[in-house]
Amino acid sequence: MSSDGRIAPSTLSVKDLPWQIHWDKDKCTLCGHCTAVCPVHAIELGVYRKRVVKTSVGLKETPSNVYQVYHGIRQKTDPAYSCVGCAMCNLVCPNDCIMPYRSDEADKLRYHINRGGQPRRRGGRRNVPGGILDQIKFIRISMLTDPALDAGRHEFELRTLLGRILPPEENLKLVREEGWIPPVREIYPLIIGAMSFGAVSPNMWEGLQMGVAYLNEELGMPVCVSTGEGGCPPRLLRSRFLKYVILQIASGYFGWDEIIRDIPEIKEDPCAIEIKYGQGAKPGDGGLLMWHKVDKLIAAIRGVPPGVSLPSPPTHQTKYSIEESVAKMIQSMCMAWGFRVPVYPKISGTTTALAVLNNLTRNPYAAGLAIDGEDGGTGAAYNVSMNHMGHPIASNIRDCYLNLVKVGKQNEIPLFAGGGVGKSGNLAANAAALIMLGASGVQVGKYIMQAAAGCLGSESDRCNICNIGLCPKGITSQDPRLYRRLDPELVAERVVDVFLSFDTELKKIMAPLGRSTSLPIGMSDAIGINDKAAAERLEIRYVV
Amino acid sequence: MEHRESHWIPGKEEGRRLESRVLEERIQQAVGNGRHFLKVKAYGQHGIGGRLWRAGTDPVYLEIHGSPGQRVGSMGFPNTRIEIMAPASDDVGWLNAGAEIIVHGHATNGVANAMAQGKIYIAGNVGARAMTMTKHNPRFDPPELWALGSVGDYFAEFMAGGIAVVCGYEAQDPANILGYHPCVGMVGGRIFFRGPHKGFSHVDARLVPVEDQDWEWLVKNLRVFLEKIDRSDIIGQLSLREQWQLLVARSHLEKGIKPRRSMAAFRQDVWAKELGTGGLFGDLTTLDRNPIPVITTRELRRFVPVWENRKSVPPCEASCPTGMPVHERWRLIREGRVDEAVDMALAYTPFPATVCGYLCPNLCMQACTRQTANMAPMDVKQLGKASLDAKLPQLPSLTGKRTAIVGGGPAGISVAWQLRQKGHEAVVFDMEKTLGGKITSVIPKSRIPEEIIRSELERVRSALPHVHLQQRLSREDLEQLKVDYDFVVIAVGAHKPRILPVPGKERIIPAIDFLRQSKQDQGKVGRRVVIIGAGNVGCDVATEAHRMGAEEVTLIHYRRPPASGEEKEAAKAIGAKFCWPCFTKAVTEEGVELTTGEVIPADTVIIATGHQPDVDFLPETVTTERGFIVVNEFYQTTDPQIFAIGDAVKLGFLTDAIGAGRKAAHAINDILAGKEPRGDTRQVIDYSRVKLEYFDPRLMRFDDIQECAEQCTSCGTCRDCGICIAICPQGAIRKKENGNEDFEMVVDPDKCIGCGFCAGACPCGIWNLVENEPLV
Repeated sequence: MSSDGRIAPSTLSVKDLPWQIHWDKDKCTLCGHCTAVCPVHAIELGVYRKRVVKTSVGLKETPSNVYQVYHGIRQKTDPAYSCVGCAMCNLVCPNDCIMPYRSDEADKLRYHINRGGQPRRRGGRRNVPGGILDQIKFIRISMLTDPALDAGRHEFELRTLLGRILPPEENLKLVREEGWIPPVREIYPLIIGAMSFGAVSPNMWEGLQMGVAYLNEELGMPVCVSTGEGGCPPRLLRSRFLKYVILQIASGYFGWDEIIRDIPEIKEDPCAIEIKYGQGAKPGDGGLLMWHKVDKLIAAIRGVPPGVSLPSPPTHQTKYSIEESVAKMIQSMCMAWGFRVPVYPKISGTTTALAVLNNLTRNPYAAGLAIDGEDGGTGAAYNVSMNHMGHPIASNIRDCYLNLVKVGKQNEIPLFAGGGVGKSGNLAANAAALIMLGASGVQVGKYIMQAAAGCLGSESDRCNICNIGLCPKGITSQDPRLYRRLDPELVAERVVDVFLSFDTELKKIMAPLGRSTSLPIGMSDAIGINDKAAAERLEIRYVV
Repeated sequence: MEHRESHWIPGKEEGRRLESRVLEERIQQAVGNGRHFLKVKAYGQHGIGGRLWRAGTDPVYLEIHGSPGQRVGSMGFPNTRIEIMAPASDDVGWLNAGAEIIVHGHATNGVANAMAQGKIYIAGNVGARAMTMTKHNPRFDPPELWALGSVGDYFAEFMAGGIAVVCGYEAQDPANILGYHPCVGMVGGRIFFRGPHKGFSHVDARLVPVEDQDWEWLVKNLRVFLEKIDRSDIIGQLSLREQWQLLVARSHLEKGIKPRRSMAAFRQDVWAKELGTGGLFGDLTTLDRNPIPVITTRELRRFVPVWENRKSVPPCEASCPTGMPVHERWRLIREGRVDEAVDMALAYTPFPATVCGYLCPNLCMQACTRQTANMAPMDVKQLGKASLDAKLPQLPSLTGKRTAIVGGGPAGISVAWQLRQKGHEAVVFDMEKTLGGKITSVIPKSRIPEEIIRSELERVRSALPHVHLQQRLSREDLEQLKVDYDFVVIAVGAHKPRILPVPGKERIIPAIDFLRQSKQDQGKVGRRVVIIGAGNVGCDVATEAHRMGAEEVTLIHYRRPPASGEEKEAAKAIGAKFCWPCFTKAVTEEGVELTTGEVIPADTVIIATGHQPDVDFLPETVTTERGFIVVNEFYQTTDPQIFAIGDAVKLGFLTDAIGAGRKAAHAINDILAGKEPRGDTRQVIDYSRVKLEYFDPRLMRFDDIQECAEQCTSCGTCRDCGICIAICPQGAIRKKENGNEDFEMVVDPDKCIGCGFCAGACPCGIWNLVENEPLV
């Protein structure tokens, strides 16, 4: 309410807000930590006047009126300062006296976050909990029929192939003739998906890269990570760690002149080149790194002047047909590294994925296809794009795989699935489900942010402010005051933890299936679902 | 009955191999019959030699010839000793519960699997998964497995107890006597081995030195083992202590420790070594990226508090056209400096008592922050009345710059007053004998005691020269003033009544004429008076008409009457009626005829629809619009040497006229000083920054100015209450005295965490919390 007591259409009460701050006066020590840490200034010190009418029993004395003033934490109700539920206040509270709670009904704020006609934009994920992947069960358990495997004791081959795998006879022929054989990488099937330098902070980025390097060099796990579209720091380009890196090129082409100029200095080929055509979280929409995020560091890596907004258009500008788009772009990127590096496109989940895939199967340079489903995350998008645009990954990847089976190329061109893998925390189960539906590997972003850096996002619209540079954990902020909260070394350690535990869990799924020597790609007889329609759609077993 | 001699049980009968079940029955039967020395010719039968409990505590000896099947000696009892005179098949001694089993040859996979007690001696190599899932039940001795040669792959998986001894003699794979991947999941027991190995599960097991007592045990029992398998001849070869190693299971406490490089070491020794100092971005930035806590101070604070004392204007001052800093006067009163508070008024207005105390609608009170919470506004009327005693400050000596002011009303007096206080000569030209304009001529006596006006005008006269004009100024006169003076200010007011162009308009008396006369107690009215125009002047006319004898007073207006405040209340008090909407068609003997045909009976008709200035004497360089003089924000006309203020520019309150005079004087002063005239660039404070919660909402009347002063929130100006110092959780705020009673609140950046508590608690809205300077 305004100070003169008037209300406007967008005047809200705490009750109208999605996140409501509960504050306990008795416990509060007024230390100021909560208001100092709140990323969006949703809380402030309030002055309260408390009235007590002192009345004696039996009304023997004249009742009196006493006012007392006290101070406490007050939640703002202006939509511009509405609580995002991050609960940093609770994190820093020494007395555990403050906590945001989700409203018990649909909030009213949603109708008012469009001031000036600007629809809501945010970061994060689709705020829809659960999904089909969590419902898929692994139903084929080796009971006496096969030698049972033990996840803890058996050796597993958890690698997958990224690259075009030629049929043996063709391959042998080419070997004999000393012809060109497409490059193939043997990588870990859990790939850290594209999170650009710029979208995430330098400390986060370095932590991810360090963790990946550790996994490769200390633990022998060939994990790789995509750069996202934000260029690649020159030091990484010139280091041997580049072989664990998938360089992404997208419609903004940021940082690519820097990469090209560094090619003579590069001593190790990158793992692969990913051509980004779309993002599952906001399919068909581009990106925009706001000018205020483009500091000197980002500018240097992206090869632009600082303080300029950097738009990545929804489409690549010089591609007019699918044939041309795919062929031209893949060819160029193959050529850049002398046809030694696998090159594959990444598209957002769409009903047109099959058309793209059909095209790729005819292109000898295409190393695979990555599809990012609707549950993917993003640093910034329109709410409507995030919540309503896109295709679920399960059926999309399944359709593509079955199509490959139909044309007999399921072992030749790998599919990579992303978008909501592990969104409910079931990383290995989701990954295994996608692999059994036909993916050769999965890409994860949000899960890594949550597990490796403590991202607070959830499917209930918590935090989701990646887009405004105020990430309270320092993951998506370019402000040193925020990103220095994040220790790259600790992020790297957590990346390692995630992959080691994923590895165990994946084995725990694979072992009872009796598989240890190769990933159960497309092993759909091993999975089932208690949803008949889904079972039919995915061509897997219906189990109740 | 006991039979010491051996009892032969063939595994074949009449040329046919006995089923395992039948052979088992026969062995059990024989033992039950007291046969404790059995010789069996085996043909691959399963589980021979186990479960021979029928002998009770008596020892049973079983010699197996031929080829026993799987699980020989399984579930063996402690009374049983089994000797297999040939190689053995899988799972020798499976689930052995105490039997001694000797194999005079190799044994295949699964030897001793799940064994819990007893001893197994193998005179050769063993296959995969030997000594797996073995246990040591504390009630009994630990089980033992002795192998002369090597063991196969996955040895000792999930071994939970017991002792295994692998002698490595004539091993199947001399380069690796423990096989591939031994000890996975091992949680208990010990493994003595002799010879090379190719690794074991370091997570589960570790090598420990062979201590003296271990060696003693090993040598003693090695001798027994070799005797059992008839290879005592090689005791010398096997008794070289340095050849033996000992593996033990890690305890659960040790298992947490994974022998891998720490991330810190990796970062330093691998990461930074490959990339260079500063890691991934060390070449691109020197920015400190080291971790910091969430709650920070100094330059790492996200927000910093700023003490914005007097940076913004309080609503009272902002809404006062005169620009009176009312809150400062209340402050002085709170500080016990009542005289200063009173005198201060004269710096802003020559009529603090007359206007603030009586005639002003007190816009300051209407805007008072307290009003926003339905609390009584600061009672400036009391303060105004007290200002009657305000003393004229020492006037500065003259600068030699001169301004002519045409018109001696409130506007003219104000501008002259201000200019004189700045040291400039200001001469007022007016037609009246005394200065004062409308204050003296038309304001009804009922509104203000005469002595108040007289007293304040006395004060004015003591400071300002006045030229009493005998005739109206002409254009030529004005041109001459322009020559004689640096500036000319037009403050002639608006005296030309607006007359309705209706039939009978000559019957209408202009309000200003009536009020002038009534002020002299000379105005004559009939019994019934109709006033056209129901604004505040109309109301003044109504009350005066009533005073002069009118019995029925009606005010008509073409829309909702704009009258307000005391004037309206006074008119209503005398029973005046307000009619609207009324459109006058004609004025007749009967009264006022409206366009509707209705006639409002009237003996006297007075018009109060406003006045216009008389601007005929102005030179052509001064532009007018709809009869009023056009000015800029500094009241400068289109002739830069001429300013215009008051009703001649726009009809308004007395305070508007006084304020215009003050602003024009500031502008003239600026121009005389060679500067661009400057307005007040301060912003009005946002009500929400002021905290009314510190005040009593039930206090609706103030007994005196002292009590009133205590209730002023002092919007935007520090009250020096000390709440910020008290509330700061870090103790970061202190008061810094700057001398001359000047002070400021300062923040220690080493302590401040940018919580904004100071801003939240400040009653006056002084503290602001602003974003810290960007670091990049």
